[in-house]
Amino acid sequence: MLEDELTVSIRINEKVAIIDLIGDVTTFAEEKINNAYQEVTKAGAQHILLNFRQNDYINSAGIAILIGIVTEVNRHNQKLAFSGLSQHFQKIFRMVGLAQYADIYQDDQEALEAINNAAAA
Amino acid sequence: MSNEETAGSKPSEKVIELRLPSRLGYERVAMDAASSLARRMGFEGDRIAALKTAVSEAVTNAIEHGNQHNETMKVVVLLTVRDDELIVSVTDQGSKSIDEAYVSRVPNISEAMQKDDKGGWGIWLIRELMDEVEFTKAPGGGNQVRMVIHLER
Amino acid sequence: MTTTRQHIIEISFPSEFGYEVIAREAIATFARCVGFDRDRIDDLKTAVSEACINAIEHGNKKVHGLTIDIVGVYDGNMLQIDIADQGIQQYQVAGAPATIEEKIAGKAPARGMGLLLMTQLADEAHFLPDTNGTRGNRFRLIWRERVETLEPEH
Repeated sequence: MLEDELTVSIRINEKVAIIDLIGDVTTFAEEKINNAYQEVTKAGAQHILLNFRQNDYINSAGIAILIGIVTEVNRHNQKLAFSGLSQHFQKIFRMVGLAQYADIYQDDQEALEAINNAAAA
Repeated sequence: MSNEETAGSKPSEKVIELRLPSRLGYERVAMDAASSLARRMGFEGDRIAALKTAVSEAVTNAIEHGNQHNETMKVVVLLTVRDDELIVSVTDQGSKSIDEAYVSRVPNISEAMQKDDKGGWGIWLIRELMDEVEFTKAPGGGNQVRMVIHLER
Repeated sequence: MTTTRQHIIEISFPSEFGYEVIAREAIATFARCVGFDRDRIDDLKTAVSEACINAIEHGNKKVHGLTIDIVGVYDGNMLQIDIADQGIQQYQVAGAPATIEEKIAGKAPARGMGLLLMTQLADEAHFLPDTNGTRGNRFRLIWRERVETLEPEH
Protein backbone atom coordinates (compact mmCIF):
# COMPACT_ATOMS: atom_id res chain seq x y z
CA MET A 1 0.00 0.00 0.00
CA LEU A 2 2.95 2.26 0.63
CA GLU A 3 4.91 3.00 -2.49
CA ASP A 4 8.51 2.25 -2.97
CA GLU A 5 10.61 5.34 -2.49
CA LEU A 6 13.66 4.54 -4.59
CA THR A 7 14.59 5.32 -8.18
CA VAL A 8 17.70 3.65 -9.56
CA SER A 9 19.37 4.71 -12.81
CA ILE A 10 22.70 4.22 -14.53
CA ARG A 11 25.07 6.73 -16.16
CA ILE A 12 28.54 6.26 -17.62
CA ASN A 13 31.26 8.91 -17.27
CA GLU A 14 34.58 7.98 -18.89
CA LYS A 15 35.79 5.04 -16.80
CA VAL A 16 33.09 5.19 -14.14
CA ALA A 17 29.70 3.51 -14.09
CA ILE A 18 27.49 5.65 -11.89
CA ILE A 19 24.46 4.14 -10.22
CA ASP A 20 22.20 6.93 -9.01
CA LEU A 21 20.09 5.98 -6.01
CA ILE A 22 17.38 8.55 -5.47
CA GLY A 23 15.29 7.97 -2.37
CA ASP A 24 15.22 5.41 0.41
CA VAL A 25 17.61 2.47 0.64
CA THR A 26 15.77 -0.14 2.69
CA THR A 27 14.78 -3.77 2.35
CA PHE A 28 12.69 -2.84 -0.71
CA ALA A 29 15.78 -1.65 -2.60
CA GLU A 30 17.46 -5.03 -2.99
CA GLU A 31 16.27 -6.04 -6.44
CA LYS A 32 16.74 -2.61 -8.01
CA ILE A 33 20.27 -2.13 -6.67
CA ASN A 34 21.39 -5.66 -7.47
CA ASN A 35 19.97 -5.43 -11.00
CA ALA A 36 21.77 -2.16 -11.63
CA TYR A 37 25.02 -3.61 -10.31
CA GLN A 38 24.69 -6.69 -12.52
CA GLU A 39 23.94 -4.53 -15.56
CA VAL A 40 27.06 -2.39 -15.20
CA THR A 41 29.15 -5.44 -14.35
CA LYS A 42 27.96 -7.26 -17.48
CA ALA A 43 28.95 -4.17 -19.45
CA GLY A 44 32.47 -4.56 -18.02
CA ALA A 45 32.53 -1.72 -15.49
CA GLN A 46 35.70 -1.61 -13.37
CA HIS A 47 34.87 1.52 -11.37
CA ILE A 48 31.43 1.75 -9.81
CA LEU A 49 30.10 4.82 -8.06
CA LEU A 50 26.96 4.58 -5.97
CA ASN A 51 25.66 8.13 -5.97
CA PHE A 52 23.05 8.77 -3.28
CA ARG A 53 20.52 11.55 -3.67
CA GLN A 54 17.66 12.59 -1.38
CA ASN A 55 18.56 9.64 0.78
CA ASP A 56 16.65 10.55 3.88
CA TYR A 57 16.32 6.93 4.89
CA ILE A 58 19.00 4.26 4.72
CA ASN A 59 18.57 1.44 7.24
CA SER A 60 20.48 -1.67 8.23
CA ALA A 61 18.60 -3.74 5.66
CA GLY A 62 19.82 -1.26 3.05
CA ILE A 63 23.34 -1.43 4.45
CA ALA A 64 23.13 -5.23 4.14
CA ILE A 65 22.39 -4.81 0.42
CA LEU A 66 25.47 -2.58 0.10
CA ILE A 67 27.60 -5.15 1.96
CA GLY A 68 26.40 -7.65 -0.63
CA ILE A 69 27.57 -5.28 -3.38
CA VAL A 70 30.99 -4.93 -1.70
CA THR A 71 31.27 -8.72 -1.64
CA GLU A 72 30.53 -8.90 -5.38
CA VAL A 73 32.84 -5.98 -6.17
CA ASN A 74 35.69 -7.78 -4.37
CA ARG A 75 34.92 -10.99 -6.24
CA HIS A 76 35.04 -9.20 -9.60
CA ASN A 77 38.09 -7.09 -8.72
CA GLN A 78 36.15 -3.89 -9.26
CA LYS A 79 36.49 -0.61 -7.35
CA LEU A 80 33.57 0.85 -5.46
CA ALA A 81 32.95 4.40 -4.27
CA PHE A 82 30.07 6.24 -2.62
CA SER A 83 29.02 9.85 -3.08
CA GLY A 84 26.21 12.17 -2.09
CA LEU A 85 25.71 10.78 1.41
CA SER A 86 24.57 13.16 4.11
CA GLN A 87 26.91 13.75 7.05
CA HIS A 88 24.74 11.44 9.12
CA PHE A 89 24.94 8.54 6.70
CA GLN A 90 28.68 9.08 6.17
CA LYS A 91 28.93 8.58 9.93
CA ILE A 92 26.75 5.47 9.79
CA PHE A 93 28.86 4.00 6.94
CA ARG A 94 31.99 4.58 9.03
CA MET A 95 30.35 2.99 12.07
CA VAL A 96 29.48 -0.23 10.30
CA GLY A 97 32.85 -0.33 8.56
CA LEU A 98 31.65 0.14 4.98
CA ALA A 99 34.05 3.08 4.63
CA GLN A 100 36.98 0.64 4.71
CA TYR A 101 35.82 -0.94 1.46
CA ALA A 102 34.89 2.07 -0.60
CA ASP A 103 36.03 5.67 -0.92
CA ILE A 104 33.45 8.20 0.19
CA TYR A 105 33.15 11.49 -1.72
CA GLN A 106 30.96 14.48 -0.97
CA ASP A 107 29.32 14.49 -4.40
CA ASP A 108 29.49 12.77 -7.78
CA GLN A 109 31.60 15.56 -9.35
CA GLU A 110 34.33 15.15 -6.76
CA ALA A 111 34.16 11.36 -7.09
CA LEU A 112 34.37 11.38 -10.90
CA GLU A 113 37.37 13.69 -10.98
CA ALA A 114 39.24 11.62 -8.41
CA ILE A 115 38.44 8.24 -9.94
CA ASN A 116 39.01 9.24 -13.58
CA ASN A 117 42.31 10.99 -12.71
CA ALA A 118 43.52 7.96 -10.75
CA ALA A 119 42.47 5.60 -13.54
CA ALA A 120 44.27 7.72 -16.15
CA ALA A 121 47.47 7.93 -14.10
CA MET B 1 -3.66 -5.19 18.09
CA SER B 2 -6.38 -6.88 20.16
CA ASN B 3 -9.38 -8.60 18.63
CA GLU B 4 -11.56 -5.82 19.89
CA GLU B 5 -9.55 -3.26 17.97
CA THR B 6 -9.33 -5.28 14.75
CA ALA B 7 -13.06 -5.97 14.72
CA GLY B 8 -13.94 -2.70 13.04
CA SER B 9 -11.25 -2.59 10.37
CA LYS B 10 -11.33 -4.28 6.99
CA PRO B 11 -8.43 -6.49 5.95
CA SER B 12 -7.42 -3.99 3.27
CA GLU B 13 -7.05 -1.19 5.82
CA LYS B 14 -3.96 -0.23 7.74
CA VAL B 15 -4.26 1.96 10.80
CA ILE B 16 -1.66 4.13 12.45
CA GLU B 17 -2.59 5.61 15.81
CA LEU B 18 -0.99 8.63 17.45
CA ARG B 19 -1.80 9.80 20.97
CA LEU B 20 -0.52 13.30 21.61
CA PRO B 21 -0.38 15.56 24.67
CA SER B 22 -2.70 18.58 24.49
CA ARG B 23 0.05 21.10 24.05
CA LEU B 24 0.33 23.43 21.09
CA GLY B 25 3.27 22.44 18.93
CA TYR B 26 2.59 18.74 19.03
CA GLU B 27 0.14 19.08 16.14
CA ARG B 28 3.33 19.02 14.08
CA VAL B 29 3.79 15.35 14.99
CA ALA B 30 0.45 14.51 13.38
CA MET B 31 1.13 16.78 10.38
CA ASP B 32 4.48 15.14 9.65
CA ALA B 33 3.19 11.60 10.16
CA ALA B 34 0.21 12.27 7.88
CA SER B 35 2.30 13.92 5.20
CA SER B 36 4.91 11.17 5.25
CA LEU B 37 2.17 8.58 4.93
CA ALA B 38 0.38 10.46 2.14
CA ARG B 39 3.61 10.88 0.19
CA ARG B 40 4.22 7.16 0.31
CA MET B 41 0.63 6.46 -0.70
CA GLY B 42 1.30 8.48 -3.85
CA PHE B 43 -0.47 11.78 -3.15
CA GLU B 44 0.75 14.85 -5.05
CA GLY B 45 2.51 17.74 -3.34
CA ASP B 46 -0.43 20.16 -3.32
CA ARG B 47 -2.75 17.53 -1.88
CA ILE B 48 -0.20 16.77 0.84
CA ALA B 49 0.05 20.46 1.67
CA ALA B 50 -3.76 20.61 1.95
CA LEU B 51 -3.76 17.53 4.19
CA LYS B 52 -1.12 19.03 6.47
CA THR B 53 -3.10 22.20 6.94
CA ALA B 54 -6.32 20.29 7.63
CA VAL B 55 -4.62 17.97 10.13
CA SER B 56 -2.98 20.92 11.84
CA GLU B 57 -6.30 22.76 12.17
CA ALA B 58 -8.10 19.68 13.48
CA VAL B 59 -5.44 18.88 16.08
CA THR B 60 -5.04 22.47 17.28
CA ASN B 61 -8.85 22.71 17.62
CA ALA B 62 -8.77 19.55 19.73
CA ILE B 63 -5.95 20.94 21.91
CA GLU B 64 -7.42 24.43 22.31
CA HIS B 65 -11.16 23.91 22.38
CA GLY B 66 -11.88 20.25 23.10
CA ASN B 67 -9.18 19.63 25.69
CA GLN B 68 -8.82 23.27 26.79
CA HIS B 69 -4.99 23.05 26.78
CA ASN B 70 -5.08 20.44 29.55
CA GLU B 71 -1.80 18.62 28.87
CA THR B 72 -2.90 15.51 30.72
CA MET B 73 -5.64 15.02 28.13
CA LYS B 74 -4.84 13.28 24.89
CA VAL B 75 -5.59 14.02 21.30
CA VAL B 76 -5.99 10.76 19.40
CA VAL B 77 -5.22 10.80 15.69
CA LEU B 78 -6.08 7.74 13.60
CA LEU B 79 -4.62 7.52 10.11
CA THR B 80 -6.43 4.85 8.13
CA VAL B 81 -4.82 3.84 4.87
CA ARG B 82 -7.00 2.38 2.14
CA ASP B 83 -6.05 1.63 -1.45
CA ASP B 84 -7.81 4.72 -2.75
CA GLU B 85 -8.03 7.09 0.21
CA LEU B 86 -6.56 8.26 3.48
CA ILE B 87 -8.91 8.81 6.42
CA VAL B 88 -7.76 10.99 9.29
CA SER B 89 -9.81 11.08 12.45
CA VAL B 90 -8.96 13.43 15.27
CA THR B 91 -10.61 12.93 18.65
CA ASP B 92 -10.30 14.97 21.83
CA GLN B 93 -11.38 14.06 25.35
CA GLY B 94 -13.30 17.22 25.95
CA SER B 95 -16.78 17.42 27.32
CA LYS B 96 -17.37 20.74 25.59
CA SER B 97 -19.18 20.24 22.31
CA ILE B 98 -18.44 22.28 19.25
CA ASP B 99 -21.37 24.55 18.51
CA GLU B 100 -23.35 23.29 15.53
CA ALA B 101 -23.49 26.78 14.05
CA TYR B 102 -19.73 27.10 14.35
CA VAL B 103 -19.19 23.88 12.42
CA SER B 104 -21.17 25.02 9.40
CA ARG B 105 -20.50 28.75 9.31
CA VAL B 106 -18.58 30.45 6.55
CA PRO B 107 -16.22 33.08 7.89
CA ASN B 108 -15.81 36.34 6.06
CA ILE B 109 -12.54 38.22 5.95
CA SER B 110 -14.01 41.71 5.98
CA GLU B 111 -16.15 40.80 9.01
CA ALA B 112 -13.16 39.20 10.71
CA MET B 113 -11.14 42.37 10.26
CA GLN B 114 -13.79 44.30 12.19
CA LYS B 115 -13.83 41.87 15.12
CA ASP B 116 -11.39 41.29 17.96
CA ASP B 117 -11.58 37.53 17.41
CA LYS B 118 -9.99 37.01 14.05
CA GLY B 119 -9.90 33.23 14.41
CA GLY B 120 -12.47 30.64 13.52
CA TRP B 121 -11.04 29.68 10.16
CA GLY B 122 -9.98 26.19 11.12
CA ILE B 123 -13.16 24.24 10.52
CA TRP B 124 -13.93 26.16 7.36
CA LEU B 125 -10.43 25.42 6.06
CA ILE B 126 -10.81 21.72 6.82
CA ARG B 127 -14.07 21.65 4.87
CA GLU B 128 -12.49 23.46 1.93
CA LEU B 129 -9.38 21.29 1.80
CA MET B 130 -10.63 17.75 2.42
CA ASP B 131 -12.86 15.64 0.17
CA GLU B 132 -15.16 14.49 2.97
CA VAL B 133 -15.51 15.95 6.45
CA GLU B 134 -17.73 14.83 9.30
CA PHE B 135 -18.03 16.19 12.84
CA THR B 136 -19.32 13.69 15.38
CA LYS B 137 -19.17 12.75 19.05
CA ALA B 138 -16.66 10.03 19.92
CA PRO B 139 -17.99 7.03 21.87
CA GLY B 140 -16.01 8.27 24.86
CA GLY B 141 -17.70 11.67 24.71
CA GLY B 142 -15.06 13.82 23.01
CA ASN B 143 -15.38 15.64 19.72
CA GLN B 144 -14.34 13.78 16.63
CA VAL B 145 -13.47 15.08 13.19
CA ARG B 146 -13.28 12.53 10.40
CA MET B 147 -11.60 13.76 7.23
CA VAL B 148 -11.12 11.85 4.00
CA ILE B 149 -8.77 12.64 1.14
CA HIS B 150 -9.12 10.60 -2.06
CA LEU B 151 -6.22 9.32 -4.05
CA GLU B 152 -6.81 10.15 -7.71
CA ARG B 153 -4.62 8.09 -9.96
CA MET C 1 -4.28 25.48 31.17
CA THR C 2 -2.81 22.40 32.89
CA THR C 3 0.85 21.72 32.29
CA THR C 4 2.79 18.54 32.99
CA ARG C 5 6.45 17.81 33.44
CA GLN C 6 6.32 14.67 31.34
CA HIS C 7 5.27 14.79 27.74
CA ILE C 8 4.15 11.42 26.45
CA ILE C 9 3.49 10.47 22.88
CA GLU C 10 2.21 7.05 21.84
CA ILE C 11 2.31 5.59 18.36
CA SER C 12 0.89 2.31 17.17
CA PHE C 13 1.43 1.12 13.60
CA PRO C 14 1.05 -2.02 11.43
CA SER C 15 3.90 -4.49 11.84
CA GLU C 16 4.98 -4.31 8.20
CA PHE C 17 8.11 -2.97 6.56
CA GLY C 18 7.51 0.54 5.26
CA TYR C 19 5.29 1.70 8.13
CA GLU C 20 8.27 2.22 10.43
CA VAL C 21 8.96 5.30 8.31
CA ILE C 22 5.83 6.98 9.63
CA ALA C 23 6.70 6.24 13.26
CA ARG C 24 10.23 7.45 12.67
CA GLU C 25 8.92 10.70 11.22
CA ALA C 26 6.52 11.21 14.14
CA ILE C 27 9.22 10.57 16.75
CA ALA C 28 11.64 12.88 14.92
CA THR C 29 9.08 15.68 15.00
CA PHE C 30 8.45 15.02 18.70
CA ALA C 31 12.19 15.33 19.33
CA ARG C 32 12.30 18.54 17.29
CA CYS C 33 9.40 19.93 19.36
CA VAL C 34 11.30 19.29 22.60
CA GLY C 35 14.40 21.00 21.23
CA PHE C 36 16.71 18.30 19.91
CA ASP C 37 19.21 19.47 17.31
CA ARG C 38 19.50 18.18 13.77
CA ASP C 39 22.38 15.74 14.38
CA ARG C 40 20.70 14.05 17.31
CA ILE C 41 17.43 13.84 15.40
CA ASP C 42 19.26 12.07 12.57
CA ASP C 43 20.73 9.61 15.10
CA LEU C 44 17.34 9.12 16.66
CA LYS C 45 15.65 8.49 13.30
CA THR C 46 18.13 5.77 12.41
CA ALA C 47 18.02 4.14 15.86
CA VAL C 48 14.22 4.19 16.04
CA SER C 49 13.81 2.67 12.61
CA GLU C 50 16.33 -0.06 13.45
CA ALA C 51 14.41 -0.90 16.62
CA CYS C 52 11.17 -0.97 14.62
CA ILE C 53 12.46 -3.23 11.87
CA ASN C 54 13.89 -5.64 14.48
CA ALA C 55 10.49 -5.68 16.18
CA ILE C 56 8.71 -6.30 12.86
CA GLU C 57 11.14 -8.90 11.57
CA HIS C 58 12.21 -10.76 14.71
CA GLY C 59 9.73 -9.95 17.48
CA ASN C 60 6.60 -10.24 15.37
CA LYS C 61 8.23 -12.48 12.75
CA LYS C 62 6.40 -10.49 10.04
CA VAL C 63 3.08 -12.03 11.09
CA HIS C 64 0.29 -10.18 9.34
CA GLY C 65 -2.14 -8.07 11.36
CA LEU C 66 0.12 -7.36 14.34
CA THR C 67 1.21 -3.95 15.54
CA ILE C 68 4.28 -2.23 16.90
CA ASP C 69 3.73 0.14 19.81
CA ILE C 70 6.00 3.03 20.67
CA VAL C 71 5.91 5.21 23.74
CA GLY C 72 8.05 8.34 23.77
CA VAL C 73 8.53 10.25 27.02
CA TYR C 74 10.30 13.58 27.42
CA ASP C 75 10.75 14.90 30.97
CA GLY C 76 13.06 17.85 30.46
CA ASN C 77 16.18 15.78 31.14
CA MET C 78 15.91 12.93 28.71
CA LEU C 79 13.98 11.48 25.85
CA GLN C 80 13.09 7.84 26.35
CA ILE C 81 11.60 5.75 23.57
CA ASP C 82 10.24 2.24 24.14
CA ILE C 83 9.50 0.05 21.15
CA ALA C 84 7.31 -2.99 21.84
CA ASP C 85 6.31 -5.89 19.64
CA GLN C 86 3.82 -8.66 20.38
CA GLY C 87 6.40 -11.32 21.09
CA ILE C 88 5.81 -14.01 18.49
CA GLN C 89 9.47 -14.71 19.17
CA GLN C 90 11.82 -13.71 21.98
CA TYR C 91 14.82 -12.48 20.09
CA GLN C 92 17.20 -10.89 22.61
CA VAL C 93 20.58 -11.40 21.07
CA ALA C 94 23.61 -12.41 23.07
CA GLY C 95 27.25 -12.00 22.18
CA ALA C 96 29.05 -9.58 19.95
CA PRO C 97 27.67 -8.87 16.49
CA ALA C 98 29.58 -10.21 13.50
CA THR C 99 32.23 -7.92 12.06
CA ILE C 100 31.99 -6.39 8.61
CA GLU C 101 34.99 -8.49 7.53
CA GLU C 102 33.05 -11.66 8.38
CA LYS C 103 30.00 -10.36 6.56
CA ILE C 104 31.89 -9.43 3.40
CA ALA C 105 33.73 -12.75 3.42
CA GLY C 106 30.33 -14.43 3.51
CA LYS C 107 31.00 -16.01 6.93
CA ALA C 108 28.17 -14.12 8.60
CA PRO C 109 24.83 -12.86 7.33
CA ALA C 110 24.96 -9.39 5.82
CA ARG C 111 22.05 -8.37 8.04
CA GLY C 112 22.32 -7.72 11.77
CA MET C 113 23.83 -4.26 11.95
CA GLY C 114 20.84 -2.80 13.76
CA LEU C 115 21.87 -3.43 17.34
CA LEU C 116 25.36 -2.11 16.73
CA LEU C 117 23.96 1.09 15.25
CA MET C 118 21.45 1.61 18.06
CA THR C 119 24.11 1.11 20.72
CA GLN C 120 26.36 3.68 19.09
CA LEU C 121 23.70 6.25 18.25
CA ALA C 122 21.74 6.38 21.52
CA ASP C 123 23.00 7.15 25.02
CA GLU C 124 21.36 3.92 26.16
CA ALA C 125 19.99 1.04 24.10
CA HIS C 126 18.82 -2.20 25.66
CA PHE C 127 16.00 -4.67 26.00
CA LEU C 128 13.68 -4.29 28.97
CA PRO C 129 13.05 -7.24 31.25
CA ASP C 130 9.61 -8.76 30.96
CA THR C 131 8.13 -7.24 34.10
CA ASN C 132 4.64 -6.34 33.04
CA GLY C 133 3.51 -9.80 32.03
CA THR C 134 3.39 -9.11 28.32
CA ARG C 135 4.91 -11.64 25.98
CA GLY C 136 6.36 -8.98 23.76
CA ASN C 137 9.93 -7.78 23.49
CA ARG C 138 10.46 -4.21 24.59
CA PHE C 139 13.50 -2.24 23.53
CA ARG C 140 14.44 1.06 25.14
CA LEU C 141 16.40 3.93 23.62
CA ILE C 142 17.44 6.92 25.71
CA TRP C 143 18.97 10.26 24.79
CA ARG C 144 19.94 12.54 27.68
CA GLU C 145 20.00 16.31 27.58
CA ARG C 146 23.57 17.48 27.18
CA VAL C 147 24.67 19.84 29.90
CA GLU C 148 26.68 22.68 28.42
CA THR C 149 29.99 22.86 30.25
CA LEU C 150 31.04 26.46 30.64
CA GLU C 151 34.62 27.52 30.17
CA PRO C 152 36.05 28.67 33.51
CA GLU C 153 36.34 32.42 33.68
CA HIS C 154 39.76 33.96 33.83
